[in-house]
Amino acid sequence: MSVAERVRQYILENFLFSTDTSLLGQDESFLGRGLVDSTGMLEVLLFLEETFGIKVADHEMVPDNLDSVNRIAAFVERKKG
Amino acid sequence: MAAGATSLVDLLRRSAQRFPERPAILNRGVGVRYGELWPSVCRAANALRAGGLAPGERVALLIENSAEYVIAYYAVLQAGGVAVGLNTAMRGPELARNVAQCAAGALIAMPGHPELPALLAACGTLRQVVTIPGSGVGRAAPTRALAWHDWLANADAADIPGPIEPHAPAAIIYTSGTTGDPRGVTLSHRNLVANTQSILDYLRLTEADRIVNVLPFYYSYGNSVLHSYLAAGGSLVLENSLTYPHLVVQAIASERATGFSGVPSTYALLLQRVTLADYDLSSLRYLTQAGGAMAPALTQRLRAALPAARLFVMYGQTEATARISYLPPERLDEKLGSVGIGIPGVTLEVRDAAGVAVAPGVEGEVCVQGDNVMLGYWENPEATARVLHDGWLRTGDIGRFDPEGYLSLVGRSSDMIKTGAHRISPLEIEEVVLELEGVAECAAVGVVDPILGEVVRLCVVPAEGTALEPRVVQAHCRERLAAYKVPKEVVFMATLPKTASGKVKRFMLKEAG
Repeated sequence: MSVAERVRQYILENFLFSTDTSLLGQDESFLGRGLVDSTGMLEVLLFLEETFGIKVADHEMVPDNLDSVNRIAAFVERKKG
Repeated sequence: MAAGATSLVDLLRRSAQRFPERPAILNRGVGVRYGELWPSVCRAANALRAGGLAPGERVALLIENSAEYVIAYYAVLQAGGVAVGLNTAMRGPELARNVAQCAAGALIAMPGHPELPALLAACGTLRQVVTIPGSGVGRAAPTRALAWHDWLANADAADIPGPIEPHAPAAIIYTSGTTGDPRGVTLSHRNLVANTQSILDYLRLTEADRIVNVLPFYYSYGNSVLHSYLAAGGSLVLENSLTYPHLVVQAIASERATGFSGVPSTYALLLQRVTLADYDLSSLRYLTQAGGAMAPALTQRLRAALPAARLFVMYGQTEATARISYLPPERLDEKLGSVGIGIPGVTLEVRDAAGVAVAPGVEGEVCVQGDNVMLGYWENPEATARVLHDGWLRTGDIGRFDPEGYLSLVGRSSDMIKTGAHRISPLEIEEVVLELEGVAECAAVGVVDPILGEVVRLCVVPAEGTALEPRVVQAHCRERLAAYKVPKEVVFMATLPKTASGKVKRFMLKEAG
């Protein structure tokens, strides 16, 4: 399973309580959809750090890195280098 | 401070006269000066009147924190209407219930709000609908709506106040009642002015103050921050999300903010995810904390991280406009865990079950008297009669005074769940879950969470022969309730523990799991 697929599955299961992939577009903004709030983002970070073995620094916590499935996937790929 | 101010619009008008060049609102790099804000308020007020707004008529606002929210809110007051700030996190049916309960005649909304179509479809009382361009996520405005800029451009900028009576309703804030039905806390002009003046008094706000605000204006805490800053002539820098906490801290540093206000979970998030020492936060003169008790350990961590900022621990309730008490920062160390003394103009008592004031050290219900005590719940005399007696507000909070008259809260007499800045009635969740096929009984309780204070645990008794998945229950709630009300945990049980009279023993459910 690709990074994007794993992230999408995680967001679907934990924030939309579903496995139906049609409910979440790969580029859809989490903030725009009201999907992930401040504590939800803490859960996402924990998931990323545990699943992909990366450490997210303060300055990396920005919408460009974290506000959609594709943005997260690209960010994780960069971090894993 | 403006002596003899009748309403918040008097306070804003005065700030506009004194500080026309100072920024009132700063949002995503765009500033609105007081000299620009006030004519916009007058224009919007005249536009509301031209649209047929009657004195005392309710105007609902479905708008995120923005200059437009501020203009709309003050315009409603200036036009003699009643402002109803709706919770933008709510789903369509929840919003429609509140709009219908107060029979709002007008709505000012962000066209991009995903629940707007459902709200418009459900509410037939709305004569005037105005939508604000640029505030949405690309969805088209509903066809029956007027566009904000056209609506304002066609209106006169003349300053025509009122009619405004000090004791007439000015605003309604919906809270989650203990019986699940919406409670519209109705605040008078006098309530709002009195609470604003008390806050200015103890925080000593001036035009030099600047706050980075993360609190929603539709709740009483954010509402009080907004009004007190505008009355002082200070500046509000709007940061509408804590999802990226370091951006908030960055804004405090770059804007040289002098103040910051949060609930316990705000501070827990900032301390957990941001290294505050990496930022120059020396401009911060004060911090305020309200919205539920903050653990003494968290208070101490916050003090250690920002030792130069004076920390005001406060206590309030929407029914008391916002603020009830504060702990003077110089007493914080010796009175850790206390919520302090009544704010100027407010008297506190702790009373026993018979309604008699008790001695220091004895626990009882906290009761409040002052010009901040609400008029009542909108068109709900039964609920009002339960909390208002002879000009006193029964808060439902249990507390005790120390010998010096400093109040400590020890619990609540209701089952309300407190999660982050939100208050949730368990019944709201239970009613929705009972609609789901296969649920025989259920009960929602708050369980301890290190960041949010509490999160929702739902205990479900499935109907005989039914197998339910937690996810199905959560998805059902997600469709019908604001995201913060969706249970974090779903626990299945054979029966719910009950008293002999059949009442669910909620305290036992908090321990289950």
